[in-house]
Amino acid sequence: MKALYGLYADPEAAQRAVDSLRAASSELKFDARQILIVSGEPHEGYEFTDSHTTASPYRWAVLGAVVGGTVGYLLTTLSQKSYPLPTGGMSLTPAWTNGIIVYEMIMLGAILTTLVVLLIGAGLPNFKGVITDPEIGTGKILVGVVDPPENSQPELERRLRQAGASQVKQSSAS
Amino acid sequence: MIFDRAKDFFVVFRQRKPHLTIFVRLRNCETASSGGKGRRMSHKWGLVVDLDRCTGCEACVVACHAENNIPTVGEDQAARGRAMHWIRVERYWEGDFPNPRIRFQPVLCQQCDEAPCEPVCPTYASYHTPEGLNAQIYNRCIGTRFCANACPYSVRFFNFYNPKWDMPLQLQLNPDVSVRSVGIMEKCTFCVQRIKSAEIQAEAEKRELKDGEFTTACAQSCASKALVFGDLNDSNSEVSRLASSNRGTKLLGELGAKPNVTYLQRGTWQDAKNG
Amino acid sequence: MQRTAEQIEHDLLRPLFHSSGKYWIAVALAGSLLLAGVAAFGYQLYTGIGVWGINSPVFWAFDITNFVFWIGISHAGTLISAILRLTNATWRRPVTRCAEAITVFSILIGGIIPLCHIGRPWLAFWMIPYPSERHIWPSFRSPLAWDFFAISTYLTGSTTFLYLPTIPDFAAVRDAATGLRKKIYRVLALGWQGTPRQWQRLEIAMHIMAVVIIPVAVSVHTIVSWDFSMTLVPMWHSSIFGPYFVAGAIFSGIAALILTMALLRKLLQLEEYLRPIHFENLGKLLLTMSLLWFYFTFAERLTAWYGNSPPEMAVFWESIRKQFAPLFWTMVFCNFIIPVPILAIKRLRTITGTAIASFTVVVGMWLERFLIVVPSLEHKFLPYSWGTYRPTWVEDTLMASSFGFMALLYLLFSKFVPMISIWEMKVGLQPHGGFPVVVTGDSKHHGLVLEGPLPRDVAE
Repeated sequence: MKALYGLYADPEAAQRAVDSLRAASSELKFDARQILIVSGEPHEGYEFTDSHTTASPYRWAVLGAVVGGTVGYLLTTLSQKSYPLPTGGMSLTPAWTNGIIVYEMIMLGAILTTLVVLLIGAGLPNFKGVITDPEIGTGKILVGVVDPPENSQPELERRLRQAGASQVKQSSAS
Repeated sequence: MIFDRAKDFFVVFRQRKPHLTIFVRLRNCETASSGGKGRRMSHKWGLVVDLDRCTGCEACVVACHAENNIPTVGEDQAARGRAMHWIRVERYWEGDFPNPRIRFQPVLCQQCDEAPCEPVCPTYASYHTPEGLNAQIYNRCIGTRFCANACPYSVRFFNFYNPKWDMPLQLQLNPDVSVRSVGIMEKCTFCVQRIKSAEIQAEAEKRELKDGEFTTACAQSCASKALVFGDLNDSNSEVSRLASSNRGTKLLGELGAKPNVTYLQRGTWQDAKNG
Repeated sequence: MQRTAEQIEHDLLRPLFHSSGKYWIAVALAGSLLLAGVAAFGYQLYTGIGVWGINSPVFWAFDITNFVFWIGISHAGTLISAILRLTNATWRRPVTRCAEAITVFSILIGGIIPLCHIGRPWLAFWMIPYPSERHIWPSFRSPLAWDFFAISTYLTGSTTFLYLPTIPDFAAVRDAATGLRKKIYRVLALGWQGTPRQWQRLEIAMHIMAVVIIPVAVSVHTIVSWDFSMTLVPMWHSSIFGPYFVAGAIFSGIAALILTMALLRKLLQLEEYLRPIHFENLGKLLLTMSLLWFYFTFAERLTAWYGNSPPEMAVFWESIRKQFAPLFWTMVFCNFIIPVPILAIKRLRTITGTAIASFTVVVGMWLERFLIVVPSLEHKFLPYSWGTYRPTWVEDTLMASSFGFMALLYLLFSKFVPMISIWEMKVGLQPHGGFPVVVTGDSKHHGLVLEGPLPRDVAE
């Protein structure tokens, strides 16, 4: 996996670069999904960052909570009914105390689901190698194209520099 | 319905049948602990302690130790508060010299119908049998000691060390009763080994249990017959008659644990004043 | 003080690559305390739990005191990270990971203690609900079973809460490291790159976790308090225990956090990041919790005293006037009388001042747990059975080793993980501190519309 990219000092410049690359994508014959943006911190309020906002992790968390609660309910009531051991004068399946277990399992379901949804949604773990640059650590934003078509590189470089790149580099995944 | 199916699933899945008869009994008695509610239990064991007869001789304490393989912990451990007397005789002084009154109160596990020690055990080591006993399952106990804290009567005892009997005292151990190892909670069982043995005998002979046929070690050894044990469900038994006496009270009855041990003492303060 | 992103990364990664001699001495001390505890526990397993000072009727003493104490300390991270995240309090940024680490490690220690204090620890796995061949499950009526579920859930949740925002920092270490270190951090970073999609997903996940972890934390310490209040023991059977313990937990947690931050400042040279403003703000929170603690304690004691029930009054006077009076009044001193003036007077609310107040609070809160457990157990309903309690060397060693274990875990954590969240500090450098704004231009934006300039991150 190779990439040609530029480094930008602020998100406005990065946004210009992204727009410029998108405009050129059909002309230079690469897919808009090959545009790579990497930063060392999240930026908000720009199209290239906020277009990934989604409500689905919340829905998955609710689903996980429901599943967790059901598991907790079944665990308590089924095990108590299957092997009836009345103790302390309480009923076989005391609702209040079973409710505490159900509550904890609801929370556990939500937590585990959130974790799994994050890992899947962010594509982690990814051991295939990532394209990154040491300058990311200093606050620069990397915008580029992964595996650009052969003859498009000069044009891409021009566009990246025009958007305000401090450097344009080529690198492979590590 | 669905729970019965689930229950069957668990049993069949394990490919093993429950082999204890007590298991069958448990499935028949849904609310066995609340005496009177649900199906009638075959027996409901109870004890009556007549405080007017108790002389404080502590023969019951010794008999209980002998019958139930309770270790003596030694002088040092007893001074630290680790003595294990499943039944103990409490002494209370009233009044000053030259006329102090002394009261003896044998305290043992009250076998409460709604025992506060039962719901707090995380492993069901403390649970209620269909015959109204609060049972302690030694091999299920992991020693959290929660039940001992929850018991208002302080009648639960913990094995802080592995018990030791100096030779040849180990020959005196009762083979009908298990010896508990370190980390296990124990308490009065109403001599459940005697109960079970009598029940098995009666079943083998195809007859009912008779009142007075057997009794607990403490009641057996009481010289003044202050302790009376029997079946509270049998309206003709001695213990039923005494438990319904108007001299009867329950220890810490206001806590609502519904103990099955009834204490008999003088009904009015006038009686006490007149001696 | 203007800092660049580069400077932040350099400062916060430095402790991972360089350690002073003092650091290794601290590790050695903590490790030896832990080893002493392990040896004491081994002795206890071999000889029997009788080597402790517990007896009839005081069946729980130091073990449960320490258990409740450590679970209480764990509420530091939850309050700071979750609540301050949800309220967008930007000053929390340098503090979150310190707090979350305290949470995870103190829950770990608090969760280990019950496994060590039961009479037959090798059978502790019976608390796990699994289909056993004995056809028996744990009793879900028991508060200890609730403890098992609550602590497991909280441990899972807080580990997740700690690990997720650390992934980008592991990636930063991976990029800065070489050799074996690079390989290890590559695994830890899970191949994190930093694309906008990943950042969005991470922020959403953190938001969900922040919302979920708060009720979990409240429930955990409530359930721990129900270990006591579900019994009939005098002065335990009180409905105030749930909120009382949660408030006390947050109180001791903030104090532990302040102490840890004060130590980290010196040990890792983080003076530029953990600034007086953080200690001031945390000090104000500590003051609030101290007043709240006093309110709860007063309410609990007043209702007991007013009701005048004999079993409760026996316990009450033991604490206020008799055997436990020195400990009780020390506790009031440490939790209220000393901290409140220090934290209320602005001139005294410095780093040193808040650290002193926090130290007294930690001591006072340990005493509070002890005074809840032991006086009540010593004086239950039947006076013939009243007893006394004295700890033995085994219990003292185990308690000291729990502190050593905590210190060791924390020191090792600071060696392998950046103690302050690098990416969150960089977000603080952004012109609007991470708040979305509308930017004019030809692209569509999805940020909130905000009226004037926002205050910059107070840490900057």
